[in-house]
This record gives sequence, structure tokens and C-alpha cells, in this order.
Amino acid sequence: MNAEDIERLKTHVAELEQQLHVTKAILKRAESSQTGSRDAAQKASLPLGPSLHNLLLLSDSALPLGSFAYSSGLESFLAHNKGGNNLVLFQQFLKLTLRSMAYTNVPYLLASFRDPLALMELDNDIDASTPCTVQRRASIAQGRALLGVWEKAFATTARKQFAEGQEAMAALSTFAADLRAAAVSSEKLPVNGHLAPLWGVAAMSLGLNLEEACYVFLLNHAKAVVSAGVRASVMGPYQAQSLLAGEALQKLVKENLEKVWFLQPEDAGQVVPAMDLWNGRHELLYSRIFNS
Amino acid sequence: MSMPNSPFMVPATTPGFGEIILTLLTAKKQVLNTFTYQYPLKLIAPGLYKSPAEKHVTLVFLLTYGGGLVGGDKTNLKTTLNNHTRLVLLTQGSTKIFKSSSAATVSRQVINVKIGQGASLCYLPDPTQPFKASVYEQRQTFYVDPAGTSSLLMLDWVSEGRRARGENWTLSSWKGRNEVRHFDESSRGRLLLRDAVMLHEGDPGASLAHKTNNMGVFGTLIVYGPTFHELGDFIMQEFAAQPRIGARAWDSEQGKTDVEAAVRPRQAAENDDGLLWTAANVRGFVLVKFGSTEVDGARRWLGSLLRRQGTVETEFGHQSLLCLR
Repeated sequence: MNAEDIERLKTHVAELEQQLHVTKAILKRAESSQTGSRDAAQKASLPLGPSLHNLLLLSDSALPLGSFAYSSGLESFLAHNKGGNNLVLFQQFLKLTLRSMAYTNVPYLLASFRDPLALMELDNDIDASTPCTVQRRASIAQGRALLGVWEKAFATTARKQFAEGQEAMAALSTFAADLRAAAVSSEKLPVNGHLAPLWGVAAMSLGLNLEEACYVFLLNHAKAVVSAGVRASVMGPYQAQSLLAGEALQKLVKENLEKVWFLQPEDAGQVVPAMDLWNGRHELLYSRIFNS
Repeated sequence: MSMPNSPFMVPATTPGFGEIILTLLTAKKQVLNTFTYQYPLKLIAPGLYKSPAEKHVTLVFLLTYGGGLVGGDKTNLKTTLNNHTRLVLLTQGSTKIFKSSSAATVSRQVINVKIGQGASLCYLPDPTQPFKASVYEQRQTFYVDPAGTSSLLMLDWVSEGRRARGENWTLSSWKGRNEVRHFDESSRGRLLLRDAVMLHEGDPGASLAHKTNNMGVFGTLIVYGPTFHELGDFIMQEFAAQPRIGARAWDSEQGKTDVEAAVRPRQAAENDDGLLWTAANVRGFVLVKFGSTEVDGARRWLGSLLRRQGTVETEFGHQSLLCLR
């Protein structure tokens, strides 16, 4: 026999050894499954609760508040600043409207969350502090819609799931009853239904914490304005989404919240005087897509 | 060695505090029962006069020494208008707010006014003029009769600073709060209206110039009560008659109402001044918010508006519009 044959035999032995190894492994697995040592199906328990579910529902654009009808002064702003680059103007407006909303509305949200029983008083005070008819209309319409959504959709489930929110839920039902009573009485309405105080109490009843409630409120406002921008042909939907997802907006929302975190409602005020003018002059626009 | 006893009397009043009480003595005469003030606040009452509508009116000038408030000056004026009295409050020039050495040194003006039944207040001052690095706070609270018989006409406006020195909202902080509440002995009184504005520099994202839309002055006019009811209606009509933004002039001059036809030539002047204004009828008030590139433009517009309607001059005399000439 020569060297070639030896090599050939050696390779053949290696192959046979490999096959033996594999077959031995299969035999072992077959034997072990025979004895029935199957792993018990592990049950996973995830930390996902009803408060996360409610948070996601409150942040949904499909929440039937009618927010799509209000541009928060964007339409008027663009009409007063014709002839510029609309996208640049829009970004400037977004900063101003977030700042204005944070200083005029968020303090009432914080106060009503921290003390749901003061809802009636806060509602009157925010009404007294919102002199612009256009802004009042928008806030009241959305607030009352929120109250309606709460009663028809959220109330029954929330009552079962959140025992600690009972006080807040009671405040909401009393407020709703007062609103109905005031609607049929002939005297002037002392109950209005503004969005910010109702949002605070509703968020508390739905198990959200304060930071989430405020963040969602301000982000919803940003989303509404951006969506209005898309419909006003300022930008396309992808550009809009990149604005919303961008780091600049995240920083803006967080910074504005931090600035007003300790502000009491009686210290709240307008920080962007021009916003009152743009909102108020919305009625003077010749053609309007939005209600505000 | 201990300090010798001061030979001077301890002052009865507190620095910056002032009080005015106006009462109707007989059906034809009202008097100033109380009229006190202390540095840095000064008050001058030239004397009772009769308005064209045969109503007695008291005029008081609110003054500061040097025409303004130095950093840290605080004034506090308490005014009571007893039933059926009339008061006009004016200033003699813009109240200048001088710079503060630090953010903690706040110049403050506080005014509390109680307007009794059937009483009217006409408060039309000059704008405040905050200089660079000034820190200022202002609180004006008006307590009115819960039955709605009190009347109030109040103007509150602020300018950008000294334009000639290039001050374009270079103030550090300006906070103003105007409140109207029901007069109630036992509680704070139900809030009827609150108009609060806060300006502070130091916001990298949006400068004050952006927030004020490059206006040189902006302000609020509050119109409330039976005496000013027609003025309120007139303002709402003027606002409704404003030409629509973005409209083409399809229609001719014919077929326009009187108000609309008169608005047209004024409109050109207002556009040059960069004047923007809105009027809202809310909660029983007529609230006007306005802004203009220059103080004079706003002064002219507002003065002309009030003169054309006529109630203020008839009921309070031409002197009440001194700051709007």
C-alpha cells in the first residue's frame, strides 16, 4: 500500500467518527425525551397595568376631543406673517405656543391633580384668566368632550381598577352633574368645563402619575399644532413626524414643564403677549380652516 | 456709648404706602376723606370739577419721584370709592423702571381699589417704561359690587424701554397682574377677571423680541360696568367692522355701513403704525388687547377710539384723557 491510500483511509476514519458522534447525540436526545423530562411552560408575568393602557389612550390622536379643529393660533399667525419661509415660521410658533400653554394652562392641571376637590374653583379661575373668546371656546369644547369621554368610556372600568382615585372620580361626577344642571337653568353659567383642570382630575382617576399627565397634555398640544401645520400645507406628514420625534421637541416639553412645576395658578399668566393678539384676531381671517 | 434718642417723631405712615378714600358728602359734592402718601409714592389732587354731564369728578395724579422707580422701590396704594363717587387716576408721564442691581431687588407697585355701589373709576395712565436689566412687579386688584353696579375703565400698557438707546425689551423681568373680584367682607371675593402677563429675558429658544412680535408697546384695556356699557358695545362694533385679513376688496364703497366706511381711511394709518388689536366680550367685561410698533401709534389710536365714542369725555371730562393726547 502507498501513502495515498493511507491518507484516504485516514479521512474515511475521520468521517465515520463524525457520524458516530452525531448519531450518539441524536440517540441521547431521543432517550431523554423518552423519559418525559419536558421543560414546564414558563409563565411570563409582565409589569403592564391599566395605567399604561390609559396613558396610551389619553395620548392617542383618536381620542374624541375634537382637538383637530383647533390650530391654537397657527392659522392667524401665518396670515399675519405672510411672505416668510413657512417652515421656519412654524418652528418659531411651536416654541411660542408650547411656552404659552405651559405658563397659562399647566399650573391649573398641576393644581387640580394635587387637589381634585378644588376643581370648581380652578375652573372658574382659569375661565377668568382666559379673556380671549377664541381660546375660551377651544378650551371649553375640548374640556366638555373630555368629560363626556370619561363618563361614557372610562368611568366604569376605572372605578373597578383604581380604588385610590375615588375622590377624583367623585369630583368629576359632581362637576358633570353641575354642568348639566347649569345648562338647563336660565341664569348665567358659572360652570364652564375648561380642558386643563379637567385633564388633571381625569388623569388622576385613570391612575396616571403627575409627570405623565403633564407630559401627555403638553405633547398632545404639540401634536395638535403639528397636525394643524400639515393640514395648513406648511409641511408634509414625514417632516411633521420628524419634528415630533426630534430631540428638540423632547427638550422643549421637558424644559417647559420644569419651569412651571411649582407655579401656583394665581401666579400663572401669559408669557407670550403676541399669542393673545394672534388668537383674538383669528375671527378676522377672511377664510379659515380651523376653529381657532 | 449708646445712640442718643432721635428727636424726630416716629412717622405714622409706612414708606411707599398711600391711601385715598372718596365719599359722597351730599348729592352734589364728593370729598377726599383720606389722602395720604409717603415717599416713593406721591399723589396730587388738583381739585373737584364737574364733567360735561354735570357729574362731580375727583382727579388724582399718581406720581413717583424722578418720574420712576429705582431698583427696590415699593409702593402700595389703597383706594376706596364709596357709593356713587367718581374718580379719575392719571400719571404725569411714563413710569420709568430703572435697572436693578440683582434679580432679587424687585421694584413693585401694588394698587387695591374698592369700587362701591354706583361708583366709577377711570384709570388711564401712561405706559410703564422698563429700562435695561430692570426687575418689576405690579399688582392691581379691583373689588366691585357683587350686584354689578360698579364701573371700571382701566388701561395697563408697557413699552419696550428707551428706543433711542436701542432698548428693545432688554428688561430682566416684568410681571403684571390685574384682577377684578367681587367685594366680599368674609373672603377674598370671587374672581371675575384676571389679566396676567409675565416677561423675562433669558430664554435662549425664544427671545423677548419674538414673544412680543417686535412690538414696541402692548397693553390691555378693561371696560366694565353700567357707565361704560355703550363704550363696550362701540368697541365690539369697531372690532367686527375691521377689514378681514387676506381678503380682496371685491365689494365697492356702496352698500357698506357707516362704521365700515369710516374705518377704511383710519386703517391705512393703523397699518403703518403696525397696530394689532383684539376685543373680546367675556364674563360681562369688554377686554381689549393691543400692540403697536411705537407708543405714539397706540396712544393716537386709543385716544381717537375713546374720543369718538365720547362717554369718557362726557362723564369724566376731557382731563381724563390727558395721557392719551
